[in-house]
Amino acid sequence: MPMTLTQTVVMALIQIVVLLAVIMAVVPIITFAERKVIGYVQVRLGATRIAGGHVGITGPINRAMWALGRVPVFSILRGLPIFMADGLKLLTKEDVIPEKADKLVFILAPAICMVPAFAVFAAITFFPGAEGLFTFPASFPIVGGLKFMGFLTDINVGLLYILGVASVGVYGIVLGGWASNSKYPLLGGLRSAAQIVSYEVPLSMSLLVPVLLVGSLSFRELSVKLATEMPLVAAVPLFLGFFFYLTCGFAETNRVPFDLAEAETELVSGFHTEYTGMKMGFFFLAEYANMIVVSAIAAAFFLGGHYLLPFGLQSQLIHALGAGHALNQPSILFFVGKVGFLLFVFLWIRATLPRYRYDQLMHVGWKFLIPVTLVNLFIAAAIKFVWM
Amino acid sequence: MNWLKAFNPSDIAGGMKLTGKRFRQVLFTANRRKVPMHFVAEYPEVKVKLAPRYRGRLTMIKDEQGEIKCVCCLACEKICPTQVITIIKGKKEGRKMPFPTRYDFEMERCIFCEFCVESCGFDSIILNHQFELATYNREDFSLGMEGSENMFENSAVGKFSVAE
Repeated sequence: MPMTLTQTVVMALIQIVVLLAVIMAVVPIITFAERKVIGYVQVRLGATRIAGGHVGITGPINRAMWALGRVPVFSILRGLPIFMADGLKLLTKEDVIPEKADKLVFILAPAICMVPAFAVFAAITFFPGAEGLFTFPASFPIVGGLKFMGFLTDINVGLLYILGVASVGVYGIVLGGWASNSKYPLLGGLRSAAQIVSYEVPLSMSLLVPVLLVGSLSFRELSVKLATEMPLVAAVPLFLGFFFYLTCGFAETNRVPFDLAEAETELVSGFHTEYTGMKMGFFFLAEYANMIVVSAIAAAFFLGGHYLLPFGLQSQLIHALGAGHALNQPSILFFVGKVGFLLFVFLWIRATLPRYRYDQLMHVGWKFLIPVTLVNLFIAAAIKFVWM
Repeated sequence: MNWLKAFNPSDIAGGMKLTGKRFRQVLFTANRRKVPMHFVAEYPEVKVKLAPRYRGRLTMIKDEQGEIKCVCCLACEKICPTQVITIIKGKKEGRKMPFPTRYDFEMERCIFCEFCVESCGFDSIILNHQFELATYNREDFSLGMEGSENMFENSAVGKFSVAE
């Protein structure tokens, strides 16, 4: 059914609003999960209550959470309301702008950091099927009978768009560090710039492996074909590329163990030292949104995306069982599960590894990752030449 | 190639195995089992487990007949580095030993060194296991033998614990 212009616009708006709402809901939950996972790894309990104890306004909530502590695994949900408290705190804090700061750039920097992080989601495919996630009932005023697709757009240069837009985010960090007019933010911003420029190269080259194997840049086509149309040997470059990509992804998102831009022990808190209130909150939002993007790309290209098996092994299952089998159907649950697991890996790594020194970071970026990703690319090219 | 040692995959995998094991243990077995895996105490709800030699507030002991064991030798008063103990000697009918008519203890200056308990030859004072000693008034730190804030029982003030 062809859509009218009004229908197209309204449908796109609905999808954008739903997508933004989901991201805005997931990001605070990740911050909560970070406290809990790191707490459990360090044999603590993490956040278990909110302010006020067993009396007062928050008393009923705290008593309910205390009762929840008896339930074995669900006790991890104790302290969940703390993300609302965190958000309220960020929104109500005083917004300080340093006197000597460059005011325009200082205010612009968090936006430059956050907007690309959210814009990247436009090209990510959450469900590849043409049938969409669900269909609006015919009783709906404008969008009745239309399908709610699992992706916002399916442009044919999706991956290029993601890489291009995501690397704009570093301008926010550099400009924020520079506009603060203070030495620690400046050092943090410069470090971040050098780090991201270095790691952009191996990141792109590890992502070239799926692009080479499929011969397309569209996110949807890549994620479907990487799972379903790969020979068995293609699992080798995809398996290696996954780890290279994840390493570069950690460096790109400024996460531990590559969080040299923030480096509390050296640079106070790096590029956002002078930022307060919701401006700092925007930097945090961007960081966690970038984590989701990196996880989504790794899940879609290397871990089989919307299908069950990772590294292109799903195509072997399709050969064995036939395309109609229940295990061979794409599902958004597989994708969400893989993204969730990768986000957990982000927190797990953060709780495990200490921060690397700056020279170690640069050494491993230029002297190790770029050569091995080149070799990996060569393996993929050979496979493409011989087997496909 | 020394810089590559820091990125040894087997080392990283070993570290992640250890932290993953800790995460699994606490996730599945923690939270108020008999033997909790986590090291922290959920303080206001669960009372902290104290070592037997924990030094809390100074307390006077009575013997089986309900008699105060203190015999006013003034050893504790003399040894106290901050001089927070004041004893006034007295007599009591039917008691051979001297009897303290007053035993004043100024807790706000006490440093909980336990010298008084060590110097006591009659085991008549101990440091109990009470650690919730905060109050809103200075007067509540002055303890004597009479009144609600006395030397024989735990302080009624500063109880934040809601232990089951």
